[in-house]
Amino acid sequence: MPGRGPRLRTFLFPPDSGHWLSLLRIGLGLQVMLYTWSLRADWDYLFGLNGHGLVNRTLNEAILSAQSHLVPRLGWCIAAGRNLGLSEAQTLSLVWWSLLGAGLLLLLGLGARAAAIAAWFLYLSSAKSGTLFAYGVDNFTVIGLFYLAIAPFPDPWSLDRRIRKKALQSPERLGFHRRILQLHLCLIYFFGGLAKSTGPDWWNGNSLWLALTRPPFDLISPQLLIHFAPLLTAGGICVWLLEMSYPVLIWPVRTRRIWLGGILLLHLSIGLTMGLYLFAFVMVVLNLAAFAPEIFLGWEKAVRARAKRSDSSPGQAADSEELE
Amino acid sequence: MSARQTWVWLAAFALHCTLIIAVALHDLSSSLLLGNDHSPGWIRTSLGRIRTVAAATSGKNLAESNPLRQAAFTYMDCSGIEAGYSYFAPSVPPNGKLSFTIRYPDGRTEEDLPPVGGAAAGYRIATLLDRLQNIHYERLREAILQTLAAAAGREHPGAETIRASFALAQLPSIAEYRAGRRVSYRPLYAYDFRFSSRATPRHGK
Repeated sequence: MPGRGPRLRTFLFPPDSGHWLSLLRIGLGLQVMLYTWSLRADWDYLFGLNGHGLVNRTLNEAILSAQSHLVPRLGWCIAAGRNLGLSEAQTLSLVWWSLLGAGLLLLLGLGARAAAIAAWFLYLSSAKSGTLFAYGVDNFTVIGLFYLAIAPFPDPWSLDRRIRKKALQSPERLGFHRRILQLHLCLIYFFGGLAKSTGPDWWNGNSLWLALTRPPFDLISPQLLIHFAPLLTAGGICVWLLEMSYPVLIWPVRTRRIWLGGILLLHLSIGLTMGLYLFAFVMVVLNLAAFAPEIFLGWEKAVRARAKRSDSSPGQAADSEELE
Repeated sequence: MSARQTWVWLAAFALHCTLIIAVALHDLSSSLLLGNDHSPGWIRTSLGRIRTVAAATSGKNLAESNPLRQAAFTYMDCSGIEAGYSYFAPSVPPNGKLSFTIRYPDGRTEEDLPPVGGAAAGYRIATLLDRLQNIHYERLREAILQTLAAAAGREHPGAETIRASFALAQLPSIAEYRAGRRVSYRPLYAYDFRFSSRATPRHGK
């Protein structure tokens, strides 16, 4: 139909200043550093071979190979280290320090492209070599690092931009990459909310109760939690309603602040009440990068003015920032 | 951006989104079909069709050696989109519990849990135990439990045998908790490991 093609192009390639990329880079740099630091005592134990490891790494990697032989894994790093005369323990230690270093460089925005690729490769390798004990946080961190690895660097707040004076990429490409992250988050929440809405326990509070009393997430004692049972019913319904409506109500300027606030509150609650701090952190980072720059950086006024001027798609109006 | 670059990015975007949706639909339909025997037939048939189409789209139906499947799986693993998003849905699954009974040559016994250094690793062990309940291939299950038992054995150097017992927690609902019921564990299986020999399964599932 006439007119649909250009509108779709405008929706998918809105000009953007790239501040979202700064938020994503800084947040994921911190996430990678926190992940690495949190496993410092168990790194060899989780990823070593049977002699001193928890679950034989080769077993994990064999399971991975059943799916694909080409997915990065720590076994590759260890084989490369062996060629250089390094022992397994030395290579694992080197990987740990490299991942920490890549996280720090991401945080600073120094050599951001190389740091993003290194962080993605090493994080993915560790997650896949521990595929039996990988969980949601690993998927979302890999998603974020993958988008970062292919992102149009430099970003406005990076040292690459400030000190090395690297030029920004085209605003349309910056906007396109942000749009992918936004749409991906919409799909994540929609399917998450839809799946929850089909379970009766998400309508009567039992799912929230079970999630909060299930070891090892039982930080709050059931004796205390039982006093808030009526709130659990409302809370359970709110969770899937919030998630399911996210793809619709995160776009309009008027509801974005409320839905973003709600989803951030949900993730902060998960972190604080279930102890899933890294999971909560990465979800907050992804949401802030995708939908928050205008709100938190004071560009909302500019966005509204733009939205009034344009009666095209809500996404186009809501995301275009005042360019530098 | 040139028109050519735009088209390249658009094609990549379309492929990426298709895979995300296919994986999410496969995960959703599989979760809904699992233990959903009381739904009307047409719902189950529709869910089965969705699952088939989603599996075909993401290459799951192809032979393991098929290059297209290998490429799709590699891409999905590398971009973090290989898993769906139905966490704790449609219901919260029961958690697994693994305990070890360590027996010494003099007849003494001790009870222990899988050893970890920090909380972050503890969450990973919990994930592994949750996953263990869905592993029905006995040799793989045994191999995993054997390495976990060996890790426990290193904490108890004089041990003669270690029995690894796996159980599923049965958490009470709100109403059951009010009525006085507390968490209980349903044993699923146990293996005896004598480190010089293979395991001896004690209880079948």
